[in-house]
Amino acid sequence: MKPPSAVEPSAAKGIAYLRGAPLMAFALIYTIVSGGPFLWVAMMSLRTTPEIFASPYALPSSIHWEKFVDAWTKSNYGTYFWNSTIVVVTAVALLTVIGAMVAHCLARYRFRGNRLVRFVILSGMILPPQLMILSLFQILLEYHLYNTLTGLIIVYVAGHLAITVYILEGFFAQIPQDLFDAARLDGYSDLEIFWRITLPIGVPALFTTVTLNFIILWNEFLYAVVLLTEDDKRTLPLGIMHFMGNHQLDVGMVATGLMIAIGPVILLYAFFSETMIRGMTAGAVR
Amino acid sequence: MARVAITELSKLYDGGGEPAVKDLSLTVGNGEFMVLLGPSGCGKSSVLRMIAGLEPITSGKIAIDGEIVNEIPAKDRDIAMVFQSYALYPHMDVFNNLAFGLRRRGIAKTEIERRVQGAASKLGLLPFLKRKPHALSGGQRQRVALGRAIVREPKVFLFDEPLSNLDAALRVSMRNELIRQQREMGITAIYVTHDQVEAMTMGHRICIMNKGEVIQIGKPLEVYRNPANTFVARFLGNPPMNLIPTSVEPDGGAYQLRVGGMSLPTDCWPAETLSRLGGKALLGIRPEDLYETAQRPDERRRIAIARAHVIAVEPLGAETLIILSLEGAAEEVTMRSGRETRLRPGDNATIELDLAAAHLFDPKTAQVIPPVHEEREARWAKAE
Ligand SMILES: Nc1ncnc2c1ncn2[C@@H]1O[C@H](COP(=O)(O)OP(=O)(O)O)[C@@H](O)[C@H]1O
Ligand SMILES: [Mg+2]
Repeated sequence: MKPPSAVEPSAAKGIAYLRGAPLMAFALIYTIVSGGPFLWVAMMSLRTTPEIFASPYALPSSIHWEKFVDAWTKSNYGTYFWNSTIVVVTAVALLTVIGAMVAHCLARYRFRGNRLVRFVILSGMILPPQLMILSLFQILLEYHLYNTLTGLIIVYVAGHLAITVYILEGFFAQIPQDLFDAARLDGYSDLEIFWRITLPIGVPALFTTVTLNFIILWNEFLYAVVLLTEDDKRTLPLGIMHFMGNHQLDVGMVATGLMIAIGPVILLYAFFSETMIRGMTAGAVR
Repeated sequence: MARVAITELSKLYDGGGEPAVKDLSLTVGNGEFMVLLGPSGCGKSSVLRMIAGLEPITSGKIAIDGEIVNEIPAKDRDIAMVFQSYALYPHMDVFNNLAFGLRRRGIAKTEIERRVQGAASKLGLLPFLKRKPHALSGGQRQRVALGRAIVREPKVFLFDEPLSNLDAALRVSMRNELIRQQREMGITAIYVTHDQVEAMTMGHRICIMNKGEVIQIGKPLEVYRNPANTFVARFLGNPPMNLIPTSVEPDGGAYQLRVGGMSLPTDCWPAETLSRLGGKALLGIRPEDLYETAQRPDERRRIAIARAHVIAVEPLGAETLIILSLEGAAEEVTMRSGRETRLRPGDNATIELDLAAAHLFDPKTAQVIPPVHEEREARWAKAE
């Protein structure tokens, strides 16, 4: 190819900008569409319900921080938050360890029935949760796990194992076999190799699954609402229901409750988004 | 230090029809540097991986210092291996890459420090101890891989084409580095390569493999001079040995070789063997054993004169390769000539064949026909 010698450098720059323009426009629209509602809720969370009804889109005229205190103290929010934290952190930790081990085995060992195991695990991804919820309800009742956080944790781990294994296995399979062979010759057992080679090299992929699982489970509603009915067992997404009374909707408090619920997710994303994107796009080792 | 004895080793991979390794027997002495040489896919890596314990053995035995290790897992065999890909741990810096294998063996911290520093200084890695592998050049990575084997002070070193990812200049210097380290430490080494220059220069002995089988084992020059069959003849040497089809014709009580219009005496080979050839043989002669008439150095050789036509001339700088067709024969032969050669494509030339250095192969079996010995032995004795 010949360089476009007829074009002056500055003109070339202009063309480059023009080429980038559609992409920029798309990014802008996407940001407005996805960020706009969030900003709107954030503003409503600082305004009282009468203020919101008077003028739904206005900026906060006076900032009502006390609404956050109200939300936390006047309802069971502390309990919900704590329940959510226990359930999600435990489930994500279990998912990470179990999922990584499964993925490591599927990616590294050729054993009898290996394809069947993979198929069974991964087929879990395509089952819609609505399909299983009744049978899960029955099973949890039978094992006295209905209305317990443990029960919900088990359901979460089982439900998300497939996608976790799927992401991790793809990444682990790219780690060259030579590394494992070298570690074996260096005297390490299979389990030690998992801890000292697979896991540290797989950190970007682990960040991906941790973040993904955390965000999805933190917001999970369907299983939680069916499997937890006692108020002091509820998780945050159910807690927000509290502000949606039977007769009227306290829009201002719902917004405040939502902001409290979203907070940890935003924090997590702020810290890990870059690592997570790297984990999803990059190869394992170069 | 250790002696590695391999007996009738075979490897059949799941789903593979032909065995990758067939009845391979080989003994590597204490402190010896053994090279496994063969074309790609001939089973060299499979042998190495079975010695290391990375691949289960289908049949046969591997013994290290007399102890059969077939059932001993890789982690307990005390063997260090350098991989073609280097296999450096990407998440550890150079120091930890070197120390990783020592830590597992319960060696004291100060001793680990001492050994790593020692190996790093030997290999010029001291400035890079805190770097991760991705921040190193190819040559430096190769050194770390070698260092990781050295610090372990294992019973056996295994090398699987460790230099093939380096550029030519680095390869030469690493080759010498590697030889020096092995000779200094005196650790038994088995080195896999498909590069005959590495094999010739590095090994105490070479084991030439093809299609999973051992073809010939011997000292590099021995194998070069006395190839056991046409495979070795063509595999060792660059350009490879010329193999010229000839007919074996009775001539009174003796035999003659006819190549085109030329007759060659056969007194280097026992008449009895020649009689069993069925009239056909392959004459093997290395390019350096063909001479332009004026350039033959030594009067004592058994010379045959041939007329030839120059097809191409390839000046390589230090020497010139001349591609010839012998008069009356279809085959092309290559002659190695000096840089000052006057021959040009299209010339007719008279060339001399050093019959004392020639080999005769049975075309049916591809095996060499053993020569009558005194002639040969005397010649090699003189060369050494
Ligand atoms: N893991 C494996 N599974 C099946 N076949 C293999 C495996 N590894 C090697 N082979 C086959 O075994 C033969 C020898 O391979 P290898 O030992 O790698 O040869 P080399 O190192 O000499 O190139 C080849 O035909 C190769 O395809
Ligand atoms: Mg190989």
